[in-house]
Amino acid sequence: MDAVSTPTVRPKPGGRSGLRLLVRNRLAAFGLVLLAVLLLVALLTPLLPLPDPDATAPADRLLPPGTPGHWLGTDHLGRDLLSRLLWGSRVSIAVGVSATLVAAFFGSLIGLVAGYAGGRVDNLLMRSIDLVMAFPYILLALTIVAVLGPGLLNALYAIAVVNIPFFARNIRGVTLGLARREFVAAARLSGARPATLLFGEILPSVWPTIVVTMSTTLGWMILETAGLSFLGLGAQPPQADLGSMLGEGRKLLFTAPHVSIIPGVMIFLLVISVNLLGDGVRDYLDPRLKAGALTAPVAATAVQRDRPADRADGSEGPDPLLSVAGLQTEFHQGDRIHRAVGGVDLVLHPGERLGLVGESGSGKSVTALSLLRLVPTPPGIIVGGEIRFAGRDTLGLSARELRQLRGGRVSYIFQDPLSTLHPLFPVGDQLVEALHTHQDLSSGKARQRAVELLEKVQIPGAQQRMRAYPHELSGGMRQRVCIAMALANRPDLVVADEPTTALDVTVQAQILELLRSLAAEQNSAVLFITHDFGVVSELCDRVAVMYAGRIVEQGPTEEVLSAPAHPYTAKLIECVPVLGESDRKVEAIPGLPPAVDELPAGCHFADRCPFAEDQCRRGELALENIGRDRAARCRKPLWSEA
Amino acid sequence: MWLFLGKRLFAIVPILLGLSILVFAMMALIPGDPATAILGSYATPENVARLNEQLGLDRPLPQQYLIWAGNLLQGDLGRSYALNRPVAHEVFERFGATLILAGSALLLCAFFGLLAGVVAAVRQFRWTDRIVTLVVLVGISTPSFWLGLLMIMLFAVHLQWLPASGMYAAYGGGDLPDLLRHLAMPAVTLAVVATGVIARLTRTAMLEVLRQDYIRTARAKGVPERRVIYRHAFKAALVTVIPVLGIQAGFVIGGAVYIETVFQWPGIGRMLVNAISTRDLLLVQGGVLVVAVSYVLFNLAADILQALLDPRLR
Amino acid sequence: MLQPLPPAMGRLATALGLALVFLMVPPTPSEARTPPNVLVVAQIAEPKSLDPQTVTAVNDFRILMNLYDGLVRYRPGSLEVEPALAESWEISDDGTEYTFHLREGITFHDGTPFDADAVVFTFDRMLDEEHPYHDTGPFPLSFFFGSVVNVEALDPNTVRFTLAEPYAPFLSNLAYPTGLIVSPAAVREHGKEFGRNPSGTGAFQFGEWRANERVVVERNPDYWEGAPPLEAVVFRPITDANTRVAEMLSGGIDLMVEVPPDALGRFSGSPDYSVHEQVGPHVWFLILNMKEGPTSDQRVRQAINYAIDKQALVENVLQGTAEVAAGPVAPAFSWAYNEDLEPYPYDPELARDLIKEAGYEGASLTFYVTEGGSGMLDPIAMGTAIQADLEAVGLEVEIETYEWNTFLGKVNPGLEGKADMAEMAWMTNDPDTLPFLTLRTGAFPAEGGFNSGYYSNPEVDRLLEQARRSTDRDERARLYYEMQEIVHEDAPWAFVANWKQNAVTSERVEGFGLEPSFFLLLDDVAKP
Repeated sequence: MDAVSTPTVRPKPGGRSGLRLLVRNRLAAFGLVLLAVLLLVALLTPLLPLPDPDATAPADRLLPPGTPGHWLGTDHLGRDLLSRLLWGSRVSIAVGVSATLVAAFFGSLIGLVAGYAGGRVDNLLMRSIDLVMAFPYILLALTIVAVLGPGLLNALYAIAVVNIPFFARNIRGVTLGLARREFVAAARLSGARPATLLFGEILPSVWPTIVVTMSTTLGWMILETAGLSFLGLGAQPPQADLGSMLGEGRKLLFTAPHVSIIPGVMIFLLVISVNLLGDGVRDYLDPRLKAGALTAPVAATAVQRDRPADRADGSEGPDPLLSVAGLQTEFHQGDRIHRAVGGVDLVLHPGERLGLVGESGSGKSVTALSLLRLVPTPPGIIVGGEIRFAGRDTLGLSARELRQLRGGRVSYIFQDPLSTLHPLFPVGDQLVEALHTHQDLSSGKARQRAVELLEKVQIPGAQQRMRAYPHELSGGMRQRVCIAMALANRPDLVVADEPTTALDVTVQAQILELLRSLAAEQNSAVLFITHDFGVVSELCDRVAVMYAGRIVEQGPTEEVLSAPAHPYTAKLIECVPVLGESDRKVEAIPGLPPAVDELPAGCHFADRCPFAEDQCRRGELALENIGRDRAARCRKPLWSEA
Repeated sequence: MWLFLGKRLFAIVPILLGLSILVFAMMALIPGDPATAILGSYATPENVARLNEQLGLDRPLPQQYLIWAGNLLQGDLGRSYALNRPVAHEVFERFGATLILAGSALLLCAFFGLLAGVVAAVRQFRWTDRIVTLVVLVGISTPSFWLGLLMIMLFAVHLQWLPASGMYAAYGGGDLPDLLRHLAMPAVTLAVVATGVIARLTRTAMLEVLRQDYIRTARAKGVPERRVIYRHAFKAALVTVIPVLGIQAGFVIGGAVYIETVFQWPGIGRMLVNAISTRDLLLVQGGVLVVAVSYVLFNLAADILQALLDPRLR
Repeated sequence: MLQPLPPAMGRLATALGLALVFLMVPPTPSEARTPPNVLVVAQIAEPKSLDPQTVTAVNDFRILMNLYDGLVRYRPGSLEVEPALAESWEISDDGTEYTFHLREGITFHDGTPFDADAVVFTFDRMLDEEHPYHDTGPFPLSFFFGSVVNVEALDPNTVRFTLAEPYAPFLSNLAYPTGLIVSPAAVREHGKEFGRNPSGTGAFQFGEWRANERVVVERNPDYWEGAPPLEAVVFRPITDANTRVAEMLSGGIDLMVEVPPDALGRFSGSPDYSVHEQVGPHVWFLILNMKEGPTSDQRVRQAINYAIDKQALVENVLQGTAEVAAGPVAPAFSWAYNEDLEPYPYDPELARDLIKEAGYEGASLTFYVTEGGSGMLDPIAMGTAIQADLEAVGLEVEIETYEWNTFLGKVNPGLEGKADMAEMAWMTNDPDTLPFLTLRTGAFPAEGGFNSGYYSNPEVDRLLEQARRSTDRDERARLYYEMQEIVHEDAPWAFVANWKQNAVTSERVEGFGLEPSFFLLLDDVAKP
């Protein structure tokens, strides 16, 4: 199954993330319902017409399930199993919940104090916790029960004590992070008492962690209670709890299996319902999970084109290296659809350097990533348009063909080289891997070639740096490595996605120059994504300006810079600080770009445009030619040849 | 690295000191004494007193502790009251059996837990993911001792495929296949819960890692997807999973008590339970120390492994 | 997109899978069954030691009786002594001197000869604190021979024991494992480790001991009564009763003792197994606190005896593995047991009336129950059933359960201020032992005895003292008869059950029978 474009599970309208939530919630909801039923039955047990769970009737012992009057049969003393099961569940649930609460209370308290106080207190508390953890946990429980005597309450304490370290460690971790944060520091400076601070400021932020830990520990606690009772250390006869029922029934495993199987199944149902619900709670309370962010993108962006875009066959001149027509990329998150790229057309010729400019969120990076289907799916989906590279539609390629293109004829340079280089591999290995993927080289040859590449991007001591890990290099060095990697296979097109944004200004200039000269040397075309017109002016032959997912202006760099047609372009150019003119007013563009999931009709820039009129807010605006090689999406362009 | 190791090993000392005092104190709090346990029905106060004197248990507790600690420094863990043999012999024999059991369980749970976690993450939201998630949940929700009983019923009594208990055949045997046949059920049972924990954690870690920029970089380089997942992503996910593997190792050793009881595995968990019930102070002391040291060492090993994987931690 | 497993992982998974399948392939029947002429016995625990003087548990006795012999032993099927290593003996008229004439030509397993010096060594080691090998102890049951003041070898084949005062149970105690004769040479060689390198004169000699796995004993070809049919016996410690049953069912063992009552049904109907039963010198009773509370009133104590449905207990809870007890002496001591004594009948009406009469209706009682212990049968289930019976006649009973050693630690010092009732069970080798240790005024916990319920009746004290000094068995029997009647009426205990010891053997085992002494004698057992 290599057809990347037709994944087996096609996202329905509503998208992958909707599906995700549904699945998660379905399981969690199942857990909730199951738990609710169990809890309800447990709560109602005293009202149900059940026989006394402790009434023995030795003559009726070990009746099989299904016996009239004893639906689940009887145990070795002739007690009604159904009744004991329900009363026993009450006990097990109560003990599990109480133990969780006790452990959560003391564990969180220790964690809060340790995390907040830090220093010696922290050290002392955490060493004690280590001590408890190093003691085999069942033995700790056994010893506590041996000291205090058996009994449910003592078993409860034992289980609670054993679980305190989990809470303490988790909560301490979170608190430690919070205690160093500004708002706490501010409150501390303002003379707030530590207790007030701890419970007023920190506790509310730690609360979700406590709840999540509780929800994940509860099931474990119920199992542990059962375990202690199973060993005979929990509930005292004749009281039933699920563990002691299992322990008693175990002796009858070969003669009357139902006596142990029934409570076993009950424990299982109880714990699994708690765990399912716990997962749901965790998903809900964990901010990362709630945003639907904890999804793994697949190898290539899903493509769901209703129809291939109309081919702009009327293009004259030599076949362009890259042509993008009507590209539409969307992010489906829950019920919301973000139209990040709403119909982009681009053309790039061999060796040409095109700058794609826009504010953050304008869709320029998504456009760049869409070219080789690197937009994460989920939640991204390419829903329309066509991307032709050297004449072939990349959106229809098989996984294998796509891989050959990636890093081969088309390569990428990303913004932050610290996060884009793999932290656990030496840079040399990563470079060699790029070579090996596309060239049939011996490993000695590949290493040699890698050193050459590092030298080419002017990394001093290239031979030694091969063994360096990314975190051992400076930001500029890392980006040089990335450039070397991008150029390793002499690509026809380099897509550079804000490669200098994360760097110092002085380093920026060096990197740009390096990129320019090397691309020129290899005659590689460059698609340069940036928000900075200053950078564009140094590097690019042509420029395309994006706003709210669309190209709003295109033209040769010089011309656009000197005479912008779209008011947005004009504003962007005004934003560029010029060296030596520090007193020049850098004017930020007032307002914010529109949310891409609720785009206004007409010109998307209208709300922020000083020149906007009523006509700007109506109808669809097309990207219209306003001169030779120039186009703008504006009813009232600032410049036009006509 | 050596400094780090030395520091970590040195940090065990106060923990062990604290533990040994804790054990002494706890055993003193438990009602009953070894003499009563040994004498059973014949434990008249007079007999108990005489036996206590012979065992040196009539001395004050701090003195007993100091004697014990002094002997320990000379490598002598004392002699078990109830078993009438050197504690060291008993403890290391038993610990060996537990290591075999826990070690195989750890191998099983590491292998299947990691595999299941990776597969579930890579096929997120597909049937594979859902099945794995559900199986894993079933695993962590089943009382392990109950599972063990059911397995004995099925595989030993009904099908008669595997021996019901013990570590070696009663007569003859003693070779590796014999051990493996005896090991199969307890190791699997013991591994079930830990497999679930590791699988869940691996899945989350993989999902987290697969969203990282460097994975996108690898894909943008045209690296085959299999390599992206099992080399780039898996290695990074391992870094988060390994400390948990260390903690699980502690749990598996501690949690072996139930399994050792059900399958009559001659391990240290069962020994400690017996030792507590017979008030065999020195045996408890020796056993707890060995288990605690192994717990610390497992965690240390996990930390070292993590540091080997992740250069940023070195 | 489906991601195939990487080849390495895939191969590993396949290999693991195959390994699992391989492990599960049914072994050939010869593997599953135990080998012929080797008897595999499930023990209930790991033995503590194989030094007969240092151990106290029946579990250890089961092995020891096959490794060693005593001067005397119990006649098969009874608790009466007969000659063993001693061919004959004489008792002086005042009952303080016992002279034994030893069998000749017997050697220990280590090759050294058995003679009078070995007997002297065995007892001096245990009783004489100055003996060079006294430090190989402790010897917890040495008080069995507490009345012995001197043991001397008159000639190589004659030994004389001198007692401080007449002590009727002496011969019976000699038949107990504490009186088994050890090889002096082996003790000298191994010192404290003798218990792991035992040497005696028994039908089997020590083979190997793999801790927590097995103790193997092998045929002694030179046994003075003729070599046993079995080549070897393997004792496997399987502490869990359920697992013992599983092993028996899956063919991993040939003989198991202390079969849980409920599992008996699995075996008794099957031609593949034989079930053995034997009533032993065992009494299961409730100690009643006579010092304080409702149970200080005789009517309440009798009411408790009437209220407990003992028949239902032994038939249902214990599945017929016990019989209803009538008094403090077990019927297995046939000569001392008073046949005229009838158990308290089950009569809840009478019980209720007695309680009402005593003014303790609705009184609340604390009841100590143990989780399990030597001879305790199924203490939790029994305690629960008793609790239900007592509730039915108007007594509120609160159970407190303790693990065995904690339980002993609470019960042995006396119930005063703690509890009103406690479960207890004793297995003894002489009718003297139990009442002497538990029913005399001189046996109050403060005096070093086990009279935890503080029963005190001067008449009983007198009878017991007299019976112990008499060497005439008929006289002793008469005294015990009388004692039983008084105790029955006073009801310091609730008499509940006498255990029928049981065992299951596979159909291949021949010539096996249980002994009332609870020992396991295997010298006549065969397994072709």
